[in-house]
Amino acid sequence: MAVNQSAAWQALKVLAESGVAEKHLQDWFAADPDRAKRYAIELDELYLDFSKNRIDDQVIAGLLALAEQQDLSGWIKRLLTGDEVNDTEGRPALHTALRSLNAANVSGFAAEVQPDVEFQFAKMAKIVSKIRAGHWRGYSGKPITDVVNIGVGGSDLGPLMITHALQVQKSPVRLHFISSIDGTQTSNLLKTLNQETTLFVLASKSFTTIDTLSNAETAKDWLEERIERPQTLMAQHFIGVSTRPDKMAEWGIPEENQLLFWDWVGGRYSMWSAIGFPIALKVGMKGFYQMLDGANVMDEHFARAPLAQNIPVIMGLIDVWNINFLNIQAKAILPYDARLKYLPSYFEQLVMESNGKAVNRAGEKVSYKTCPILWGEVGPNAQHAFYQLLHQGTQGVMSDFIVPVERDDFELHSGAEKDASLLKQHHLALANCFAQSRVLMLGDAAIPESLKSSFDSPFKHYAGNQPSNTIMLKNLSAKTLGMLVALYEHKTYVESVIWEINPFDQWGVELGKLIAKEAYACLVDNESVESFDASTQALMKRVK
Amino acid sequence: MKVAVYGCELTGLVTAGALAQVGNQVMALPVGFVKVEDLKAGVLPREEPGLDNMLAQQQAEGRLSFEADWEKGLAHAEVLIVATPSWRMDRAEALIELIGNKVRKDLVVVNQSTFPVGTADRFEAKLKLALAERGEVCNVAVVAMPDFLSEGSAINNFMRPDRIVLGSSSDSSIRLMRDLLRPFNRVTDQIKVMTTRAAEYTKYAVNALLATRISLVNELANNAEHFNIDFEEVRQGLGSDHRIGFNYLYPGCGFGGPSFAADVRSLVANLQSMGYDADLLKTVLSNNETQKEVLFRKAWRFFNNDLRGIKIGVWGLSFKPNTATVENAPSVKAIEAFCAQGAHIKAYDPKAMTDFAMHWQGAEQVELVDNMYAALDSVDALVIMTEWKRFWSPDYAQMKQLMNQPVIFDGRNIYDPEMIASQGFRYFGVGRGEEI
Repeated sequence: MAVNQSAAWQALKVLAESGVAEKHLQDWFAADPDRAKRYAIELDELYLDFSKNRIDDQVIAGLLALAEQQDLSGWIKRLLTGDEVNDTEGRPALHTALRSLNAANVSGFAAEVQPDVEFQFAKMAKIVSKIRAGHWRGYSGKPITDVVNIGVGGSDLGPLMITHALQVQKSPVRLHFISSIDGTQTSNLLKTLNQETTLFVLASKSFTTIDTLSNAETAKDWLEERIERPQTLMAQHFIGVSTRPDKMAEWGIPEENQLLFWDWVGGRYSMWSAIGFPIALKVGMKGFYQMLDGANVMDEHFARAPLAQNIPVIMGLIDVWNINFLNIQAKAILPYDARLKYLPSYFEQLVMESNGKAVNRAGEKVSYKTCPILWGEVGPNAQHAFYQLLHQGTQGVMSDFIVPVERDDFELHSGAEKDASLLKQHHLALANCFAQSRVLMLGDAAIPESLKSSFDSPFKHYAGNQPSNTIMLKNLSAKTLGMLVALYEHKTYVESVIWEINPFDQWGVELGKLIAKEAYACLVDNESVESFDASTQALMKRVK
Repeated sequence: MKVAVYGCELTGLVTAGALAQVGNQVMALPVGFVKVEDLKAGVLPREEPGLDNMLAQQQAEGRLSFEADWEKGLAHAEVLIVATPSWRMDRAEALIELIGNKVRKDLVVVNQSTFPVGTADRFEAKLKLALAERGEVCNVAVVAMPDFLSEGSAINNFMRPDRIVLGSSSDSSIRLMRDLLRPFNRVTDQIKVMTTRAAEYTKYAVNALLATRISLVNELANNAEHFNIDFEEVRQGLGSDHRIGFNYLYPGCGFGGPSFAADVRSLVANLQSMGYDADLLKTVLSNNETQKEVLFRKAWRFFNNDLRGIKIGVWGLSFKPNTATVENAPSVKAIEAFCAQGAHIKAYDPKAMTDFAMHWQGAEQVELVDNMYAALDSVDALVIMTEWKRFWSPDYAQMKQLMNQPVIFDGRNIYDPEMIASQGFRYFGVGRGEEI
């Protein structure tokens, strides 16, 4: 029986149709001011306020019943112990095992992989400390000063997002990221670098990704302009990160420079593995471990907290409520800190590549909505862009506001005018964050009584009733970022369990790669374009 | 004249000894960790040719005394000299405060320490304010007298100076200083009088210019290698141009020492804190750090980027000959680079091994040996970091017999490339020898 035919689902549907779905958030708060206290959960350095959602105790009870009916607790356990939760590819999804180092309470396959994980982290630590100390030398003997990560998707977004978020930490090497297949990034970047002091990291789970390998070839050609000995070129200027030692060796990367992870680590869950190498270069192995620790705090919470007090569970269930019962099909990720610029892109991949699916685990087409369209932007900038649609458009949109309470990137009490101004700016950002979620929730009701008359115009009305979560981090640190990302990973899994889909495969991206190969053959090898449709043929003819 | 010298590092001790030698009554007072008992017993914080003898003699003849109590120095002095290390500004401040609170007579305060430009003016203002607050009418002035002493020849530098720079706006102070320094200013008048700020800046400017010259020469020499040129020939061509001259034209594996680079660095920092920049000097400093590894880079290429298990003999650790210190010395940085690649080091220095052992924090592969040939036992290459005289004409046969491979990386260009090659050595200098 499809989940939307199940008793728990139907009960929620009835509840929603009984008037709950129509009720405005301003009325929820008017009737129950205490809800802000009740609908919040704090874990270590992370605080979630979910009271600005169109829920009450009855809704939560219904959602928890749905979770129980779907055996969510069982699924959580299966995930964390290493069952084959990725059934279409016949393997577990054990990103949590990467961050349970020293944790006594892992079991199953998750425990078996620990020695491998420790071995690779020890190898990574050695390389990281050598580079950070200026003792990793280029061909001429100068220390490496620039490290270029060549990777795409999961091999790019995580390290890019985290290193950008932790930008205030001083790093002894400069980090660069190249991902796009078209070569623009590579060509522009290489102009600014010197072969003597540049090291490339080839990060590719399969080590067959054409985007990455084509950029790597360009990098290699560039190095060959200066380096005669191929052994030196590879030994001093390339590090490989992959699940495929054979492919890395074939490409020429010596064993000492290979960092491994495993097929049980999904690409979009891989920044916790050696794919996080640039993160460790940025903040040191200690900082990298702090990030893993932060994630582990969330993992432990996910594994042990009762469902009703479980942050990823509650966030996942509320998304399900919004999508399937309130018919909201869009979600905005709104960090109020410019250091989190890449967080929306990171979550776009994490959430949409995981749950953007229409077939359940049994292979049947589902008859309910799954993953919403998710996008976002640094909040204060987005206010000048798409917030208009959030406030007055025709779409229901749910939002996650994410904000650090404190900033440690400047001195709070230094007495310097600049620092005082920065503190003011931080408070301005916080004020904007709180203001936006309040207006989205209340709409016109947020207008102060004294100003009501000036808003008396059909163009100045605010419907409100747009639900949101607010996640507050104590500050932006390796640890809190670890907690935050792990939270979204688990929340995404919770939704997949309700929707009965496998969040760990991504068959949808395969066909395009295959067709690209055919199209490429047509463009460069003069193969006939006859097999393509008329539109594509016309486009290709303009290139040939 | 009665003189008190505060600070018993190299500058203070040389100043005290030289002034005593010409008849002044000098009291020397330590400002840091140096102990009066040690000084009295002839245990000096830094080795310097001739210094121990001079101090012992002046003590014996009763013109030099060491004293811990700062107030006694103040009571003694007509001229009070501040000669603390540049990083002990706090002690100098404390001393100025003491003078301001206690002085009851006319006094000339001379600052020899390398402090940021403007310090002498600031000290003088501070003293004047303190005197005014006490209602004291005596005349206290501050004179800037930057020291131009080089380790290894410091006594000679003081007694037979190229020039003496005095910064002051007080004619009477300058008259007094001229009299004090008269014995060292005989042949021609070497005293240049200027404002205190100009005097202070001159000291920085001299070091900045010399550092820049060395770094530029190093860069020219490194690049001469790429054109297959022996830089020694170029050096002759350069030096004979009277606008350039021969001084400071030797390329090498970088400069070091406790104050040279530190002074340039502090000038850069000083300017930056005021919102200005010194791009060229920053480049000079970073170039020099890179140059300290020049021999490492040659060896790195010679051994095909794999130094694991390679044994390296090192001659010379001190930042220059005739000194026992390795502070900021190229040797420390080069040895660290070798060790990080898994090479093993056997090192010898005539004087600086104790100081090296104190500065060395890290890999255990460094073995210090007590004669120059022991450092060659079974090594794959010799690296020369300091041009001590005894390294200039070694026993080539013995060297070859001891070494695994007859390979020399010479950071001071002390051998003739053709001669040493004819002895059977592979020879790599800085801007000389084989290209690699």
